[in-house]
Amino acid sequence: MASLKGYIKMRFQEIKRQKLAYLFILPTLSGVFLITIYPLFRSIWLSFHRYYIIELKKEVPFIGLDNYKYILYDPLFWLSFKNTIIFTFGCVLATMLIGLGVALLLNQDFRGKNFVAVTILLPWVIPKVAASIIWKWIYDDQYGILNYFLCSLGFHNFFDYGWLINSTTSLLAVMIVVIWQSYPFVAIALLAGLQTIPKTLYEAADVDGASSWQKFRQISLPMLKYLITILLILSTIWNFKLFTQVYILTEGGPANSTMILGIYTWRMAFGFLRMGRAAALAIIMFLILMIATVFYLRRIRKEEGIL
Amino acid sequence: MRELHYKISKQFKLKTVGIYIAAAMVVFISVFPFIWMFFTSIKPPNEIFTLNPQLLPHHTTLENYVRVFKGTMFSRYFLNSIIIAISTTVLGLSIAILGAYSLARFEYPGRHSFLLIILTVQMFPTVVLIIPLFVVMRQFHLLNTYYCLIIAYTTFTLPFCVWMLKGFFESIPKELEEAAMIDGCSRVGAFSKITLPLSAPGIAATSIFSFIGAWNEFMFALTFINKEVMKTIPLGLQAFIGRFAVEWGQVMAASVMFTIPSLIFFMVVQKYLTKSLFVGAVKG
Repeated sequence: MASLKGYIKMRFQEIKRQKLAYLFILPTLSGVFLITIYPLFRSIWLSFHRYYIIELKKEVPFIGLDNYKYILYDPLFWLSFKNTIIFTFGCVLATMLIGLGVALLLNQDFRGKNFVAVTILLPWVIPKVAASIIWKWIYDDQYGILNYFLCSLGFHNFFDYGWLINSTTSLLAVMIVVIWQSYPFVAIALLAGLQTIPKTLYEAADVDGASSWQKFRQISLPMLKYLITILLILSTIWNFKLFTQVYILTEGGPANSTMILGIYTWRMAFGFLRMGRAAALAIIMFLILMIATVFYLRRIRKEEGIL
Repeated sequence: MRELHYKISKQFKLKTVGIYIAAAMVVFISVFPFIWMFFTSIKPPNEIFTLNPQLLPHHTTLENYVRVFKGTMFSRYFLNSIIIAISTTVLGLSIAILGAYSLARFEYPGRHSFLLIILTVQMFPTVVLIIPLFVVMRQFHLLNTYYCLIIAYTTFTLPFCVWMLKGFFESIPKELEEAAMIDGCSRVGAFSKITLPLSAPGIAATSIFSFIGAWNEFMFALTFINKEVMKTIPLGLQAFIGRFAVEWGQVMAASVMFTIPSLIFFMVVQKYLTKSLFVGAVKG
């Protein structure tokens, strides 16, 4: 008992000594708490309750797992889930491959290389809403430049083709926009990684008569392994919770062909006003994302030793 | 020997040509949508709605821009966006500077958990948070005001700003502050007179990211705002294309004006992008 008292006293003194440090971090923590931690718990609470915002009654009845049950029996949930998986992995894979290709290209010596490096960042810089709108114009069925291009190349069946209106191509068309906006970040990050690899390693490989492919496989790739893993996890997280581009381009249509979890959850909450069900959906998304986040944190903890 | 040399140089030339072609393709794909946006915005309608579109406009006109300002609420959206983005930046930076300094310079119980929390909350799907926040904002009658967006944006950019500033503060040697403190400066004095001015470029870069984050945001605005006079630019733009017959010339003119601030700021912080941002962003 005495030792516990002593321990508390010691901890308290320690806190007192670090008064300034705590004082400084307090606003940050309260902000994070108010806008992220509290809502998270409120969402968990909501997901076990019936909260239909149109009903004017005050009480919000507890309904156990009914919201989750409803969702798991909802075919639209499973369709959104499937679309999200296709969308996420498609985008991640394409982003990484294109990003790596462009990084390798920029790692070569040629004139105007810095110019290229800055210009390719432009798609990443512009607002997602603006990018989506520009592409919606490019995809336009009647006056869009894409169909004009394809027709002048001889693909006449693309005349009047609605890229975003046809459910066969809508998901692909949306993915192209997202990839266009996200590959520059990956490319520049990987380029930064490539430039940290010591030149002597390649010189040694040259002496041994290694081919470019061998140098890439045996030197570049292993040296970039950590960075690639991090970027893979991050882009999985970002694409999995994506909302804006899809909302602007298709709002989840046509015929739910681009309905992904972010859009579906938002619709459930603010279209159908079923807050309880939406919260349950959001929690399901959250749990999936947390798995990725745990991988991410374990990776950077090991490498950086920060946490 | 000469033949070998010739072969190598030929191979080399082929490779160089390949590199230039690839680079040109990458640049084209990145830049073309921008060029298309810009040229569409200065074309008259008969050159926009045509089955034979030309890249360059035949008659250049600023009519689309004039119409955006005269015929729509765009100037109001613009004002709303500016007010919200500036308030977010000022408020967010004041909080983030203190938090980042605390994490960069002090070692105390709880620090590691705070770092972990700051890293983790960035991964939360916005939709998890937006539902309860909507309920709360509704209870406090904050929907359709500047406050709800300023509060939301400030806290959402906070973790990233703290993380970035922490890196900048850590790059300034501790010894400088210690020397000032030996000379009789208080801790707060040393912070405000030494570290703060030295990290001015970092603070500027972080401010820009915070501004751009608030300027571009769409999902919160879509959820919290439905009154025409309170809309921000992204929301207004979305309403433009929601119409049955889209006036693409005007939409592109509005998009150009919406994009320009991001581009200007990008040019300013471009130096930091390749250095600190990627380290910071890859870490968190």
